[in-house]
Amino acid sequence: MSAVWAAARAAIRRRRLQTFVIALVALLCTATVVVSLALLDATSAPFDRVFAQQRGAHAVATYDAARVSAEQLAAARTGATEVAGPFGQTVVETEAAGPIGAMLGPLTVVGRADPAGEVDRLDVWRGRWPSAPGEITLNAPPDDEASFARGPMAHLTSLSGNGTALTVVGWAYSVSHSADGWVTPEQMTAWRPAATQVLYRFAGDVSTRDAVGQRLTGVTTGLPGGALLAAEPYQVVKEEAAETAGVYLPFLGAFGVLGVLVAVIIVGNVVSGAVVSGFRHIGVLKSLGFTPRQVVAVYLTMVTVPATAGAILGTVLGTLGAGPLLEDTFRGLGYGQDTGVQSWVWAAGLLGVPALVLLAALLPASRARRLSAAEAISAGSAPRRGRALRVQRILGGTRLPRSISLGLGLPFARPGRTALTMASLLLGVTTVTFATGLADTLIATSRLDAAAGGDVGVRPAPDGMAGVRTTQRDDREIEALLRGLPGVAKVGASAGRTVPVAGQSSPVHVDFIRGDVAAMGYEAQLLKGRWLAGPDEVVASAKLINKRGLAVGDSLILELEGVRTTVTIVGETVQSLPGPGDSLFASWRELQRVDPSDFYFQVELAEGADVQAFMESARAADPGLTLWDNTDVGELTVVVTGISTVLALLLSTVAALGVLNTVALNVQDRRRDLGMLKSIGMTPRQVLAMLVTSMAALGVAGGLLGIPFGMAAHRLVIPLAADAAKVTLPDYVLRVWDPATLALMVLSGVLIAILGALLPARSAAQLSIARVLHNE
Amino acid sequence: MTTETVVRLDDVRKEYGETAALDGVSLTIRRGEAVAVMGPSGCGKSTLLNMIAGLDRPTSGEVTVHGERLDAMNETRLALFRRHHLGMIFQFFNLLDDLSALDNVALAAQLTGSSATTARRRALELFDELGIAGRRDVYPAALSGGERQRVAVARALMNRPALLLADEPTGALDSRAGEQVMDLLIDLNQIGQTLLIVTHDERLAHRCASRLVELADGRVAAESALDRV
Repeated sequence: MSAVWAAARAAIRRRRLQTFVIALVALLCTATVVVSLALLDATSAPFDRVFAQQRGAHAVATYDAARVSAEQLAAARTGATEVAGPFGQTVVETEAAGPIGAMLGPLTVVGRADPAGEVDRLDVWRGRWPSAPGEITLNAPPDDEASFARGPMAHLTSLSGNGTALTVVGWAYSVSHSADGWVTPEQMTAWRPAATQVLYRFAGDVSTRDAVGQRLTGVTTGLPGGALLAAEPYQVVKEEAAETAGVYLPFLGAFGVLGVLVAVIIVGNVVSGAVVSGFRHIGVLKSLGFTPRQVVAVYLTMVTVPATAGAILGTVLGTLGAGPLLEDTFRGLGYGQDTGVQSWVWAAGLLGVPALVLLAALLPASRARRLSAAEAISAGSAPRRGRALRVQRILGGTRLPRSISLGLGLPFARPGRTALTMASLLLGVTTVTFATGLADTLIATSRLDAAAGGDVGVRPAPDGMAGVRTTQRDDREIEALLRGLPGVAKVGASAGRTVPVAGQSSPVHVDFIRGDVAAMGYEAQLLKGRWLAGPDEVVASAKLINKRGLAVGDSLILELEGVRTTVTIVGETVQSLPGPGDSLFASWRELQRVDPSDFYFQVELAEGADVQAFMESARAADPGLTLWDNTDVGELTVVVTGISTVLALLLSTVAALGVLNTVALNVQDRRRDLGMLKSIGMTPRQVLAMLVTSMAALGVAGGLLGIPFGMAAHRLVIPLAADAAKVTLPDYVLRVWDPATLALMVLSGVLIAILGALLPARSAAQLSIARVLHNE
Repeated sequence: MTTETVVRLDDVRKEYGETAALDGVSLTIRRGEAVAVMGPSGCGKSTLLNMIAGLDRPTSGEVTVHGERLDAMNETRLALFRRHHLGMIFQFFNLLDDLSALDNVALAAQLTGSSATTARRRALELFDELGIAGRRDVYPAALSGGERQRVAVARALMNRPALLLADEPTGALDSRAGEQVMDLLIDLNQIGQTLLIVTHDERLAHRCASRLVELADGRVAAESALDRV
């Protein structure tokens, strides 16, 4: 065994607390780094990841079955590396019961024998793949059991398409959006499909729509003219996905950056503290004949061994923790399939943190290398001149209890160590502040949603559906029925209609409203302008305004039931009624050719009324009504609040460990002083108070400095996320800071500092005076 | 000298593992006495001092100082007892490097609840008495060994202790500084301060103490009255 290893091993064994702290900090920092990098990585390319996992189609091509045969399509592969199909494809006019039935509309259905294959490997996340005619598996982003059970999809167990009764046997997800549903090839053949679907993956450049178009030309060359009906490059779905995932990117990016920063500071503090406190030991090694290089090697080994052990465990912990977090985060977006931590992420944790430790140790170890043996020995115990003296003198003259004033002066004795500890506390408080602001804003937004969405949504079942009970009441009677039920406070009614707009390529959805709609939160959440006051006035949702480049004051010419009507946008509101989100509110008018399911009612219940009891009584009063609970907190709120809580806790724990390490080092440095103080009558409680005060003071400073950073991050990140979602948030949801919350944030810094300091301070309070002074 | 007992040890035994550092020590010190404890290294001198100072607890036996049973006190009561009734000086002074000489001394009074002003006033009196008034604003690192020990003595006397304990008070000093400290201890004893000095230094014992207790293997080997040189 080499002398270096023997000395390093002995040092590791002797300094158990320090070794433990280094290992624990490395473990938590690695876990934080792995989780943060995994989240950053996932947010940077969630679509690409799932697209690669599913071997998504670069192009989804639809051919005319009458013009090109399956054999011809199977042979046409020029430039394609992988091909799936040809599959029969048809559009199925569906009918189904329940709230989702009205929204299903025509479905593009493909006949596929299995969900696997070279291209578009589908994630069958619930149920199974169809195995017999009469069965269908529908396309939807994966959802967890609880959410699925709550949502309308759980009620969709059967539907009728093209005259065939279809049993929904499962749910699958195609990131390529290759179809709305899949049946067996036999079922498809029975429908005599007019189209054929082929899915392609190409080699070479597929980065742009044009590039994909060129590759597709290579495949279709030689096929009969007009055979290709349509082809969708993957960029279409990727751009849609970017809009959704982009909401998460600013949140997770902010936490990722904070996590890595905290890890760097804590590791640097712990390791350099360990080396500095070992200067005397370094002197002894040198006096024994260790060369400067060997001394450095001993110290690097001493810190790298526990750091590596911690990094290995931290990587495992981070990988295990990040997996479910990523899956929860991206499952709702459809990217949850096999979401895992990438190998480069755990490699970064496994190698990066020990490398960081090595680097942090190298600087102080190099300083020790340059010292002579005598200097190194004295550096460990010699009085430190000129530091903190003025501060101690001032504090000594105050009316504070002496244990407190001594504690307040302690941080000035080691300014470098204090600066690093305060930096970690500052980042801890920044994280807590940011997470709190984020949660408060999301809760405020969620309340806004809840207030505007009402407690219960009600829609009459559509006419003419087999097996579905329809209401006998008209819209006025339904409104009256709802108003008469116990516990009802407000009822709003609307009739939705998609209306062409003169001069614009796509129509706009207009909700013609009456009743209490305005009073149910929509008027209260006006961002600009005022609520509509006449038939020629409309209020637009922020999403519509942002999407179409409109502004309050603009006029629109609506072509409503053959009549051109000019309306003026008099207000911009945060959101529209449940639906696509980019809608106009207009005052009520009696529309022609209205299906009962075009009417939508939302009900706000009185304070304390039971939502489920109301829904049961409404169903009993009219079984032709479909009702759903709108009181659920939004998915985004749950996911972002969950992630921010986990990361804030993790980073606060790491910051507290940084404090623990600092106090442990301070106690080690000041054992003699502590022994002396106890010998002249300082009680254990006073020792505890002194050491805890020294860190609580840093907690206050870290809190005061960290709050502006956390607030700035909040101000920066929320609007970025809102921009990504193409929504405008009212300013008041960003104004979540009040004096009480800010005081709590400062307290969070103090709490982190106290929790970190408590353990070593308690151990210092129990220090045996006889032993400490005897060791001198 | 009165007959009032300041320290009484009854059959005190202290074990560290299987080794007995003190093995049935009984000892009495009366008010105004100056007692020197001597003996070879490892005989139990420091352990004895630690027992009397309440810095360590006996395995068995009773330690009574100023009428209070130290072996029955918890840590907090021991700290309060030390604060009010005991003064200690150490071989290596044990001054706080971050505090000036004056603040090191004032600290002992501030721990008892005195205001900074009152504590500093009392400390200045002691600085005058001990002849170090000109060094009050100097930090320990800039003081000579003798000056540091005088500051340590001033700190020990700050709360007018019933008993002053000195552990090798001249051990880290040159002979001149050592002489000054000895003179100081003699002066203190002559004005009624009870002293217990643990030392290897026969000269210190014979100059400062009125009684010598010799320890060997954790037992009191001999006790004798001394005529101060």
